[in-house]
Amino acid sequence: MRWGVHHANHYYGHSHVLARYCGLDDTDPPRLHGYLQHGWNIGDGLAPDHEYVPGIPSFLWSERTRRRAWSLGRRQLYVVGAPFAYLLAMEPLPPAAPREGTIYYPFHGWEGQHVVGDHDGLIAEIRRTEPGPVTVCLYWQEYRTPRLRQRYQQAGFRVICHGYRGGWWHNLDPGFLHRQLAEQRRHARVASNRLCSAVLYGILAGCEPAVYGDPMRLAGERSAFGGQRRIEREWAALHGTRVDPEVARAVAVDELGADRLLPPAELRRLLRWPMPVGVAA
Amino acid sequence: MTVELIGGEMLVWSDLDGTHGPAPAGGAALRSLLSGVTGRTLVAGPHDPDLLDALPAAPVTLLVRGVADAEALAERYASRAGWAICCGSLDKLATVPAYDTVVALDGLGRLGSAEAADCTGDETLSRLVAVLRPGGRLLLTVPNPFGLDRLVSLPAAPADADWAEGDEPHTPGRLRARLAAAGLPVVRDYAVYPGVGEPAVLLSDAVLGDVGLRGFLEATVGAAFSAGPAVLTDPVRLAVGALRHDLAAQLAPGWIFLAGGGPPGPAALIAPGPSVVRRDAAGRWVLGGGTPVPLGRTLADLLLAACRRRALPAVRELLTTWQASPVAGVPADRIVVDADGHLHGLAPAGEPLRALRRFAAAVIAAGDVHLWPSPADEAELTALLAGMTGREVEPHRVPGGEPAPAGVRELAMARDRLARELAEARSQHEFHRRTIAARDAELRRTRQLNAILAATAPGRAVTGLLRALRRAWRK
Repeated sequence: MRWGVHHANHYYGHSHVLARYCGLDDTDPPRLHGYLQHGWNIGDGLAPDHEYVPGIPSFLWSERTRRRAWSLGRRQLYVVGAPFAYLLAMEPLPPAAPREGTIYYPFHGWEGQHVVGDHDGLIAEIRRTEPGPVTVCLYWQEYRTPRLRQRYQQAGFRVICHGYRGGWWHNLDPGFLHRQLAEQRRHARVASNRLCSAVLYGILAGCEPAVYGDPMRLAGERSAFGGQRRIEREWAALHGTRVDPEVARAVAVDELGADRLLPPAELRRLLRWPMPVGVAA
Repeated sequence: MTVELIGGEMLVWSDLDGTHGPAPAGGAALRSLLSGVTGRTLVAGPHDPDLLDALPAAPVTLLVRGVADAEALAERYASRAGWAICCGSLDKLATVPAYDTVVALDGLGRLGSAEAADCTGDETLSRLVAVLRPGGRLLLTVPNPFGLDRLVSLPAAPADADWAEGDEPHTPGRLRARLAAAGLPVVRDYAVYPGVGEPAVLLSDAVLGDVGLRGFLEATVGAAFSAGPAVLTDPVRLAVGALRHDLAAQLAPGWIFLAGGGPPGPAALIAPGPSVVRRDAAGRWVLGGGTPVPLGRTLADLLLAACRRRALPAVRELLTTWQASPVAGVPADRIVVDADGHLHGLAPAGEPLRALRRFAAAVIAAGDVHLWPSPADEAELTALLAGMTGREVEPHRVPGGEPAPAGVRELAMARDRLARELAEARSQHEFHRRTIAARDAELRRTRQLNAILAATAPGRAVTGLLRALRRAWRK
């Protein structure tokens, strides 16, 4: 039983990826002392439903988020970068791998919320915009909704799902990020109707990004820290059907902390993880 | 040799034994200054006899106010031809210009005895100047009432020598004007560290004004301090900060003035040795023997600056370069990083983990420890810094550290940090307690469910099979 570790640390197999990076058993990652940011965030790094406990460190993806969190009175903040960036560091992109088509991530809710919006309008816009074959990656909740999945399939898209996110130590899916990286590597473009972690990951994985289409309002969406409007304003350069890849890359590196990853020894100490067997202290 | 009692002598008194006040002026740096003295010399006030040994040949007159000191000196220098010992108060000395050099490196404060009438600092200075021949040389120490040693000291009980407090002409500017008006222009003055009693580092404007020497001076001045009595805050931190902000002269514990005729003296003197710092023929700064002085900032300065900017990649890079270099075991505040990024160690190398720990202590003392998750004790932080260089270390394997200066500021910081960590520990404890309660409830539910399932026919079959397998396994 693992007491005191924040359950969100296991979302998407994040702690599994970090465990592998640190040379530890990635099927059963050890307790992580602190809260690991699990998605791209324009607030203090914590998801809105998560409780901030003073004294428990927050491990954030970017320096910008750290400064913002500090200005909001949070302390015990440390920039480690996104687990996806560590995964890429362990599995660098082969230079001349073939890529084709677009992988599109329609904006979705999570377990507590449901999407309201015009899926058909979005589908039409995707077909208008994307030149090549389109893969649509649905969140598990929508993938398991036959009516939604079929709608995208009938539009001629290949419909996939990367797996469960996991929550409260159930349905943990260590393979999520690996599957996501594998899919993104095969595609030339990554797109969504909202700027999100998946688009930033895609940029780092070498895809050309695009953000277009109706952003789809959540029923009862609370716009903490400025919400969608702020995202469109502050990160305007990443919105549109054609985005400058240089600018996009710079933004993705910043937001995912890809230029400031920690060496395994430092990460291990920070998370208070044990040393791998066979390493002399 | 007999002692000449000139009047105002103190019968039951010694300045040289250090029991009635501070120890007499001494140290290798002052010794070096005295070795260049020429002509007929008056040494006024208590000076360490080791210093006086360095004086070149006769004639020398020593003036002290305690009879015991006079007799001890008379015995020590009995064999020196041309030496005379006077005992008494300065105001009893004949004010005839009789000397080529006057040495007052203990300052003006201990030249008047208890028997003498009250003399202002200016009057005392006038008397010293009056006994100098035209073109003569004056070597004078003046303590700084706003020197950082005084700023950080806690009030002490007055000593026996403090029957009255002096009112010396304190600021260097006023003193320079005063001496120039008396026909003794100042040819060199030094800011003196760590204290006026036994200065280890003498720094003139020439070296203080050169930004490139900053790192070297910080490392040198930092090394000059040793643990002292209880203070408000660590004086080394202030001294290094003063150097960095062009305040080293204004905040020095005191100054030494070389006034009048004669050669100006070296740009800086550094004990032990002492080493002279001078410019060579090509204009570069070198130490006495010709070794070039490394120019740049200290590694500790660069690291702490990166910490303040929260530029962790820069911190990582600096730490990794340091620990991969031959000077990994030299403390970061004794390494100068030159313009090419090369590291020059100015102290012997010890164990790298000790050097890292020392830097961790500096980070904690600078208040930058919130860069890292708490609890921030030295051993944990050292292990984390080692991790930043890619080295695996457990905190319990970090060697012990040096005792920290027990300054009031440092104690207050430590207290606040501990109070904060305690509050955080309590709230974490509460969080864990709630998590455990939730897990207990879930475990109870799972057990109940298991009990129900085990009571069914298939359930009984499975548990029976498992029991049999376990028995077979144990065999």
